[in-house]
Amino acid sequence: MNPFLENQMLQTRRQFFGNQGLRLGSLALGMMMAENKKSQAQQVQVHKPVAGLPHHKPTAKSVIYFHMNGAPSQIDLWDYKPLLNDFFNKDLPPSVQGGQRLSTMTSGQARFPVAPSKFNFTQEGKCGRWINSELLPFTSKIVDDIAVIKSVFTNAINHDPACTFVMTGSEVPGKPSIGSWLAYGLGSENNNLPSFVVFTPRFPEGSNGQALFTRMWSSGFLPTRFNGVALRGTGDPVLYLRNPEGVSSDDRRTMLDTLQKLNQRELQQLGDPEIQTRISQYEMAFRMQSSVPELTDLSSESKRTLEMYGPNVTTPGTFTHSAIMARRLVERGVRVVQLFHRGWDQHSSLPSQLGNQCKDTERATAALVMDLKQRGLLDETLVVWGGEFGRTVYSQGTLTKENYGRDHHPRNFCMWMAGGGTKPGISYGETDDFSYNITKNPVHINDLNATILHCMGIDHEQFAYKFQGLDQKLTGVEPQHVIKDLLA
Amino acid sequence: MKRLLLSVLILIPVFWVHAVEPSNVPVSFNKDIRPILSENCFSCHGQGKTKGELRLDASEHFLKAGASGEKAVVPNQPSASELVKRILSTEKGKVMPPPSTKKTLTAAQKEILGKWIAQGAPYEKHWSFEPIKAQAPPEKKPNPIDAYLISRLKKEGLNYAPKADPSTLLRRVSLTLTGLTPSVQEMETFLADKSPDAYEKMIDRYLASPKYGEEMARHWLDIVRYADTHGLHLDNERQMWAYRDWVISAFNKNQPFDRFMVEQVAGDLLPNATLDQLIATGFNRCNVSTGEGGSISEEWVFRNAVDRTSNFMEAFLGLTGGCAVCHDHKFDPITAKDYYSLYAFFHSAADSPLDGNQLLLAPSVKLDLPETKKKIAELEVEVSTLRRKMEEEAAKLAYEDPALKPAKSEIKVAEDIWFEDEFPKGSKVFASPGVPLELVDAKKGKVFSGTKAIRRSDAGLAQDVCENMSPITIQEGSVLFAHVFLQDGRLPKSIMLQYHSTGWLHRAVWGDYNIIPWGAANTTERVNMGPLPSAGKWIRLEVPAEKIGLKPGTIVNGFAVTQFGGIVFWDKIGMTGKKDPATDPAQSFAAWWQQQTGRDQPEAASDVAILIKQGPAKTTDKDQVNKVKAFYLANYCSATKVQMKPLLTKLDELSKKKTALEQSAPGTAIFRELPKPRDSFVMVRGMYNKPGEKVEPNTPAIFPPLKKADPKKRADRLDLANWLVSPEQPLTSRVMVNRFWQQVFGTGIVKSSGDLGTQGELPFHPELLDWLASDFRSSGWDVKKLIKLLLTSEAFQQVSTVSPELLRKDPENRLLARGPRIRLDAEQIRDNILFTSGLISFDMGGRGTMPYQPPNIWEPVGFTGSNTRNYKQDTGTNLYRRSIYVFIKRTAPAPFMANFDLPNREALCAKRERSNTPLQALQLMNDVQHFEAARKLGERLITEGGNDAGKRIELAYKIILSRFPAPEEKAIVMEGLEKHIARYKADPKASALVVKVGESKIKEGINESELAAYTLLANTILNLDETVNRN
Repeated sequence: MNPFLENQMLQTRRQFFGNQGLRLGSLALGMMMAENKKSQAQQVQVHKPVAGLPHHKPTAKSVIYFHMNGAPSQIDLWDYKPLLNDFFNKDLPPSVQGGQRLSTMTSGQARFPVAPSKFNFTQEGKCGRWINSELLPFTSKIVDDIAVIKSVFTNAINHDPACTFVMTGSEVPGKPSIGSWLAYGLGSENNNLPSFVVFTPRFPEGSNGQALFTRMWSSGFLPTRFNGVALRGTGDPVLYLRNPEGVSSDDRRTMLDTLQKLNQRELQQLGDPEIQTRISQYEMAFRMQSSVPELTDLSSESKRTLEMYGPNVTTPGTFTHSAIMARRLVERGVRVVQLFHRGWDQHSSLPSQLGNQCKDTERATAALVMDLKQRGLLDETLVVWGGEFGRTVYSQGTLTKENYGRDHHPRNFCMWMAGGGTKPGISYGETDDFSYNITKNPVHINDLNATILHCMGIDHEQFAYKFQGLDQKLTGVEPQHVIKDLLA
Repeated sequence: MKRLLLSVLILIPVFWVHAVEPSNVPVSFNKDIRPILSENCFSCHGQGKTKGELRLDASEHFLKAGASGEKAVVPNQPSASELVKRILSTEKGKVMPPPSTKKTLTAAQKEILGKWIAQGAPYEKHWSFEPIKAQAPPEKKPNPIDAYLISRLKKEGLNYAPKADPSTLLRRVSLTLTGLTPSVQEMETFLADKSPDAYEKMIDRYLASPKYGEEMARHWLDIVRYADTHGLHLDNERQMWAYRDWVISAFNKNQPFDRFMVEQVAGDLLPNATLDQLIATGFNRCNVSTGEGGSISEEWVFRNAVDRTSNFMEAFLGLTGGCAVCHDHKFDPITAKDYYSLYAFFHSAADSPLDGNQLLLAPSVKLDLPETKKKIAELEVEVSTLRRKMEEEAAKLAYEDPALKPAKSEIKVAEDIWFEDEFPKGSKVFASPGVPLELVDAKKGKVFSGTKAIRRSDAGLAQDVCENMSPITIQEGSVLFAHVFLQDGRLPKSIMLQYHSTGWLHRAVWGDYNIIPWGAANTTERVNMGPLPSAGKWIRLEVPAEKIGLKPGTIVNGFAVTQFGGIVFWDKIGMTGKKDPATDPAQSFAAWWQQQTGRDQPEAASDVAILIKQGPAKTTDKDQVNKVKAFYLANYCSATKVQMKPLLTKLDELSKKKTALEQSAPGTAIFRELPKPRDSFVMVRGMYNKPGEKVEPNTPAIFPPLKKADPKKRADRLDLANWLVSPEQPLTSRVMVNRFWQQVFGTGIVKSSGDLGTQGELPFHPELLDWLASDFRSSGWDVKKLIKLLLTSEAFQQVSTVSPELLRKDPENRLLARGPRIRLDAEQIRDNILFTSGLISFDMGGRGTMPYQPPNIWEPVGFTGSNTRNYKQDTGTNLYRRSIYVFIKRTAPAPFMANFDLPNREALCAKRERSNTPLQALQLMNDVQHFEAARKLGERLITEGGNDAGKRIELAYKIILSRFPAPEEKAIVMEGLEKHIARYKADPKASALVVKVGESKIKEGINESELAAYTLLANTILNLDETVNRN
């Protein structure tokens, strides 16, 4: 990082903690509880934005990004293709397949029989969106609030590179995740919580769970303080948050008072500003010991709200619990929240497994959008939903009308966005009758990332970090474009 | 054009008032000009792109006229230089850089560009490509490093800070060389040593410690991206810790660094390569790899080679190669052709492009561990003794060879079993594609008979093959058979039996006839046997030999069980057929010997093996014939099997023991070439399936040329390695010296230690870097000597105190007007709490250990089928081993290390971040490892510190900080301690909980509430900023 900037940040930290760091002591807890977003805004930000950011007036303050890991089938959820019913078990026309590369899981298949979706699609909402309302009954009710993109494509054909690509803008490991970029660029409005939080909730047993990688929320070559912090379903919600057994908060305070006096003394002797930072980080840690439990305490939520999310809402580690936590986090000014839900890789038994996946997630997903809306937060929160690629129209393995599987399909898949300055109730991009090729308005992963940055007030072309001698960008070296049509 | 000239004319006078004068301070192209051009111009006017036919990266280009006919640079004539006109222009379409690039030059930058041209536009190649210039140090100093640094400081009006006190120096040296704080004993020895060379002697003691190698290796492992898992998809365990241990031992032996590099790049190509030299080539096997189903092999051949090439460039040359994968590097003079010529050295890797999720992916070597070797040798003696006994017994048995009987024996139908629990002796068994044979018992799968069956699960085409069996003759009416079990719900598309006669020419298929396209369809090369057999039960498949073209008299010597997709079990495989005792090798000694003639007999004693191989015709001596016969009767004859059974069973047990021992002996992945190299090409836009121009292995053209050992042969990796360490090579020693400097002083002489190319920072002190690089090389690449030189400099020994004024002037301490002060690395932080608490285990080497880790670090990310999905925490001393031995799972690195910036080892990391976060504070306060250590340290304070609280506090300072506390510090600590004592005395329940954290036991007779209070005291001191820093 630019040393001048670092210095500047230190100055502000010093202003914030320097004089009161020690006195904060036993007062810290009480202060923290009393602290609300408004009073925080008047204080100095701990997680400051990079100088010059935002580039323009943002339409979203926070992002909640649902990553449905494994690749949800676009054909069975969003990309309605009624003509396929005439093609059941007929070969995919070669003109459609076009000699594209296939995954070696099906490239050896003798034929590519078309598997129409077995599900009922209906038109929902004022916008008349076609949607699989059988598996997405709750989402069907929010179609007027979301923008569906049918024409996202990726370069990768396997999970690992594709996940890395969708989260970091590059297939090659080592680049920062989009959440880290945002945390780095924009900082956070909450001084007591990390600026970028991730969840890895449980997923249905029996679903084909692919691996996740910490690189999907890691800071790559950015400073590691921009790593996503996992809020965990078991053990401490934040790693090492709880004092060891037998150590009370008062004991910790006594210990910290001694520690900080000694550190202060060292600072006076050596003058290294890093000592000042460490002193303030210990105070922040102490505050987190109360702010995180406060965050995870759902007793203040109304019964109606809890019911809206669904039955597991109070069970940590479930998708439903993660969804309501996401709202609580953005409410507290956290910049980025990501939910990584696994199990969407349906090579076989797609109809039943996909049903389980939707049952596990879609009620809470829709509830979150409605909840944000009813609190007026949807206007400043961008919600993104999607996987890492799509699935093939042709069946992998046994094909009957009721049962089939689908292989990886990087050429087109669906994602949706809501709130945060996106245009509600629209659909963007078109695919052919087989959901196999994009026919209109292709959206590259990095077009999508550029658009997310744009909503957050960032011009992706100017948002760079010097590494290995190069101006590295989330959106890479090829030119990418903000999808203007998606914006309200 | 007219307008442009006009505007130039208007502007120039204003600008040139002070710039046109060639001022007497010479402008340096490398220092002043190239950074401006590189930042603003090269991306359009560089090596990759030459808009307007203009390149600004070398004088031979920018002195020529561009497309417009104008010369960009006319030496000594700024106003005639198109470059100057363009940067001064305000006209759209003329001004450079164009507004669309969002780049602008400052007035100062414009001025210096003008000044440079006015001075004659002197050009230099990028500094790091120029030969290393070894000049004499600028002044006389005991340590030349100080001569360079002081002369630089004088220019800034600064000087060195005073020397730090001995205990600070001791701790600083000890942490630098071993990653650990000094022991109390070392502290006492050093502080008592008043001799003038006490400091030097202390350094020598640490350099001789085996802990030195562990500390040095850590930094190298970041460069090579060492880890204990494959890194992609399943992220299964990978066995190559022997490479990690080799690195440690190389540093401890102070192996000359040029050899260290050569062995890693090309140890396998050295004449008579030793096991250690092979292990060293693991360097090129540290890249991440995948075994993800559906991956395309060609793509991964390419990707692995790119990863290795880029790592080679960054690790040894300090150049980032990534750009040249897709196009000529825009900034560094590395063309795509240069890149792919280098890539050609790594492109013919013999390891499979997909790792098959295997622990030990070939090529590999088994480790020569003395314990294993000894056990195997003992077993071998047992086996040969038993064999001798068997043959003695067998010789006594009555046996009549049916072939020699006068009357013809009765011909019966009998079964020949080829697989039952195991494959025939002496046959060669392998699997394709990569996943090795799996034999399961009834607990893990399905078994038809015996104790084991073959299991195979695959998404595509896969098989187990048995070749080189003892030949079997097909008889009239022979029927081939195999037992198969198809798993319900995971059906294959098809299954296939294949048999080898003169070739693989006989196949029988059930299920999808065409999905395995082997053999000519509708011939005996591929016979359709109908639909798949029913799933969920054992089915006996039978194939009349004639049906697949195996006529009586044909010799069969191999078979394969093949499937497409699904999960399939195979068991009891063989043939039924008529058997004439006179020609059946199991019954007739003569027939057997005839059959075995020409074949090797690894199980026979060497003299007997020779006889069997030469055959009955050439063996006439009766004793010799009897020896062979005894071997036959003991091992192969069906008539004597019953009598031999007890001994045979024993033999079987012994050989199984030996095989198990051999297989379980750990190995390590090494690098080898394919016998026939792959052709390499420039891959167009970095796409694995778009080969362009063909290339031969070679080094980038900007460097001194590669010298081949044999000019007639294609260049190999050994040539490359030798080129790397040749005296003409300008980068290697600069890169290495700079990294060691960074390790010792915190920041490199070139701050961007991973990039010495044109986009990297310039060296802060080029003459010093060159002097060190040249000295290092001429010392015979002596690392310990270099490190000692750095540590004995006055620069290293200054106090690290910084005034606000100096902080403003030199925030990063590049000038070294004060001593280095660095936050400890992740490993050092953990090792020190273990060391000071006395918990540490100094066991060296071996498989990565799994210390305390919070629950659910691996599980939430792990792939369901991964063997690193569930963290299996170690117990006992393995919890407390040094952190270099902690198991690194790439997709979920240990949080207590990642929290302190351990890189995840997916890609090279030349310089770690040193972050300072609240999560670190939480960890140091609350992680069970840290709190248990505090408890054990508290125990030490109570038992070793005497009865006086003050003395105990002193001991804490001595153990952790190698110094005595100041009275004020003691008072502060005492105040806290008293509070803790009062609190825990009043709350025995809480005390009891505190002293139970962690696995280790409390010493008997210690008062729990006192221990709880001292635990909190130790926890405090272990959290001090001073504790986690090298002051």
